[in-house]
Amino acid sequence: MQTKTIKTILLNEWRLLAADRTLRIVLPLFIVLFAYALANGMAWVRFQEHTVQVVREGNVQRTEGLERELAAIKNGAEPSSPFRDPRNANVMGGRRGARSVALDPGPLTALAVGQSDLLPYYYDVSIYTNETTFLQNGEVENPLNLMVGRFDLAFVAIYLLPLLVLAMGFNVLSGEREQGTLALTLSQPVSARRFVTAKLAFRAMLVLAAAIGVSLIGILISGGFGSSGPLGRILLWCAALTVYALFWFALTAWVNSLGRSSSWNATVLVGAWLVLVVVLPAAINIAAGLLHPLPSRVEMITAQREASNDAVNRRSELLARYLEDHPELTGGDATDEPSRAALAWAATDAVNQRLEEVSERHRSGRDEQNELIRRYRFLSPALLVQEMLIDAAGTGDSRFARFQSQVRAYAGQWQSFFVPAILAGEQMSADVLPTLPAFNFVDESLGDVGQRATVPLSALIILVGLVGAGAWVGLGKVRGAG
Amino acid sequence: MISHIVRKEFMDVVRDGRFRWCAALVGALLLVSLGTGWVQARNAQKELAAAQATARDHWESQGEKNPHSAAHYGVYAFKPRLALSFVDEGVDSYTGTSVFLEAHRQNDFLLRPAQDATPAQRIGALTAAQVLQHLVPLLIILLTFGALAGERERGTLRQLLATGVGRLELAMGKALGASAALALLLVPAAVVGAAAIVVGSPGPATSPLVRGAVLAGIYLAYFATFIGLSLAVSARAPSARTALVVLLAIWVVNGLVAPRVAVDLSKWLYPTPSAIEFAHTLEQEMANGVEGVDRPDRAVVTQNLLAQYGVERTEDLPINAIGVFLQESEVFGDQIFDRNYGALWDTFKRQGYVHEALAVTAPLLAVRTLSMGLAGTDVEQHRHFAAAAEQYRRDLVERLNGELTENSRTGEVYLASADLWSQMPPFRYDAPEVSWVLKNRALSLLMLGLWLAGAFVVVTYAVRRAEVA
Repeated sequence: MQTKTIKTILLNEWRLLAADRTLRIVLPLFIVLFAYALANGMAWVRFQEHTVQVVREGNVQRTEGLERELAAIKNGAEPSSPFRDPRNANVMGGRRGARSVALDPGPLTALAVGQSDLLPYYYDVSIYTNETTFLQNGEVENPLNLMVGRFDLAFVAIYLLPLLVLAMGFNVLSGEREQGTLALTLSQPVSARRFVTAKLAFRAMLVLAAAIGVSLIGILISGGFGSSGPLGRILLWCAALTVYALFWFALTAWVNSLGRSSSWNATVLVGAWLVLVVVLPAAINIAAGLLHPLPSRVEMITAQREASNDAVNRRSELLARYLEDHPELTGGDATDEPSRAALAWAATDAVNQRLEEVSERHRSGRDEQNELIRRYRFLSPALLVQEMLIDAAGTGDSRFARFQSQVRAYAGQWQSFFVPAILAGEQMSADVLPTLPAFNFVDESLGDVGQRATVPLSALIILVGLVGAGAWVGLGKVRGAG
Repeated sequence: MISHIVRKEFMDVVRDGRFRWCAALVGALLLVSLGTGWVQARNAQKELAAAQATARDHWESQGEKNPHSAAHYGVYAFKPRLALSFVDEGVDSYTGTSVFLEAHRQNDFLLRPAQDATPAQRIGALTAAQVLQHLVPLLIILLTFGALAGERERGTLRQLLATGVGRLELAMGKALGASAALALLLVPAAVVGAAAIVVGSPGPATSPLVRGAVLAGIYLAYFATFIGLSLAVSARAPSARTALVVLLAIWVVNGLVAPRVAVDLSKWLYPTPSAIEFAHTLEQEMANGVEGVDRPDRAVVTQNLLAQYGVERTEDLPINAIGVFLQESEVFGDQIFDRNYGALWDTFKRQGYVHEALAVTAPLLAVRTLSMGLAGTDVEQHRHFAAAAEQYRRDLVERLNGELTENSRTGEVYLASADLWSQMPPFRYDAPEVSWVLKNRALSLLMLGLWLAGAFVVVTYAVRRAEVA
């Protein structure tokens, strides 16, 4: 009986919606917006994939160049320039033999561009890699475009999807009352609760089918299903989208349950959208900027300058201290006469040490502030879902931070490989090239992503539960005659 | 007659609890964002000025050194926050704040504040410009969507017109009434803004008060456009509710959809090279030169000098040939940088034009462009600063090469005295004039003018043909 009632409501709803002029325009319009957003995201992924490929080809070319010159030298040729002699460890391990490491676009970048247009996704690693390497800019991009942001699926989902939900549901109950059909409907064996739930559930299915359908098509076309990893990300993406849409449906049901007119409902719902999606996030940002100002990067420049001035003046002293600190690097025999390269390295290392201190202080200050700022996201479902969506897509800052820290570790390996040879004045040969440390990015596991999503997703689900409970109680009081 | 309408409309609005709440909220946000923006801009400017002074100290205290080594040692330039940046922070978070000026190379601006922030902060902070561009139009919509449609629904429109008041007069009265209500929150904000400029500008700018006055005019034109559009929709919509829905749709397209579509469109029409392509091209051209711009050859430079001075050996030259060669290399490099960076900046400029042209669909795009322009926080003024810094670099390196050339002989180890560095002029930046900004932004001025005129025409037409009942 109950399932039959729900079936009847759903069938009738379909007929009503199919006849509704506004929805016949609004729903296809949204599908067009989704498709446009997706096309945009995919163009960006192609651009990034191409760039990553070019970056990696650079490694092959550099290695071949070194091999060619080393082979020629072996056959008696002179090096092209004494400063670029690939047999010197500080040349092979330096800029000439630098290894470019790149981060593949996040598995669902086509759906959410996130921070991927702002943060660097490739670096050159050499013995000179230090904290200033990580200060570099990302992709070449017009600052104006960075400021505005992309029209991607995440944007449509966060900003526009709620409006679709509101347009579909603001008069779900009030409209019946205004037409005078509510009393008639409720005289049937159906409660207002079930009636509204069925109507909204039907609309939710349509909205989510459109949103998730387009997402899945996007993932399919951009090859996101390729490996096993992204499955969890896809699930998280769909879950975040679903819960966010349900929040707006629950809010719609609640407002409807208050028994006011359709235009009152519309005004209140649009007001809620405006506050939660537009005003609150911007207000939170200004409050965050005041309460938790990020430490300035400017001091890093000054610190770097002072460190290098100091280091240049005290090269020999620094080398002596360096060798004292790292006896393992010299192979035991203390060099009597430090080479130019060894002196230069000692200075470089001293600057790097100082930079790491300054940078570490800055990083921990920044992370602390950002952690505090992140707390405010619980004030706005839009901020919660934004974080989950771009994190699921692999374009959030955590994946970039992970990449950066692995590059940092890799640079350390690279230095450990070359520095002993620099200090010992050892000559490099082509045989060394295949034995150089290699970079393999260990991507986030499903567990990492899932763990980060747990709190925001739970918060959003609790919010939906609370609003839904409000609607449930309110709808229980609705009487057809009232 | 019209004064009665204005007074009645104004009293209606001011007595309406909903308006009072909304206006109080928007007004408070406006004042808070002005205040916080000013404090933040001032702090940032203090820090930048201090860093610039430290950079100069480093430069001056280099000690005895070869002038070319000093050119390699270089100096940092920090981009100041301009006087009006507290009203509209524009693209400041997305452009670097500092550039290293050294021999041989034009470097990129580093340290974009946005790179350190959380993704949520990409949504943008609530600056005064955000409030003025997004929230005030919304308030206007709330004030006016029912102005004519509501009267018609209540049946009072017929009565009103029966008193002999003209339709246009009625519409004008409604518009002025709403404007008077808006003035309650805009005038205090303008006073606070002007006071902030007078009391102490956060940073340098030419004629900040003039900039501020033009900025205020631009926003007034924007609000007038919205009042016109809103009244036109209210006159023609079958019901007040429909008027509200249509106006909200316009607001969403204006504030959310059009700006982002402009991003994609601009990138599609005028693609920028990837960073790695850009670097590759630059490297290639620096190594090999391009058609008509050849890399100087040291042997040729030396031969020419020998011929010019009529001597046989470089040691006999009265100048240092290496200094001459270094300077010729600089001139060569500068041409390559101008080609590449110039092309990139020009692409950004064209992309900016796309944003401006799309103001056809959304007046916000015109207003935003003008607002950032007058606040000195747009891409063009970043370029203006970058060009000034680059020119300083070129002049500095040229002087240092000149010192080397004039004061030493080829092959000689030459150390300039420690007081040479303070003789080099420090870096000074003069922000462009208001007229420069407005000339750059002529398209946006035109667009905003068209919107204002269009809104006037549309509202006149709509009110003349409005149904009475």
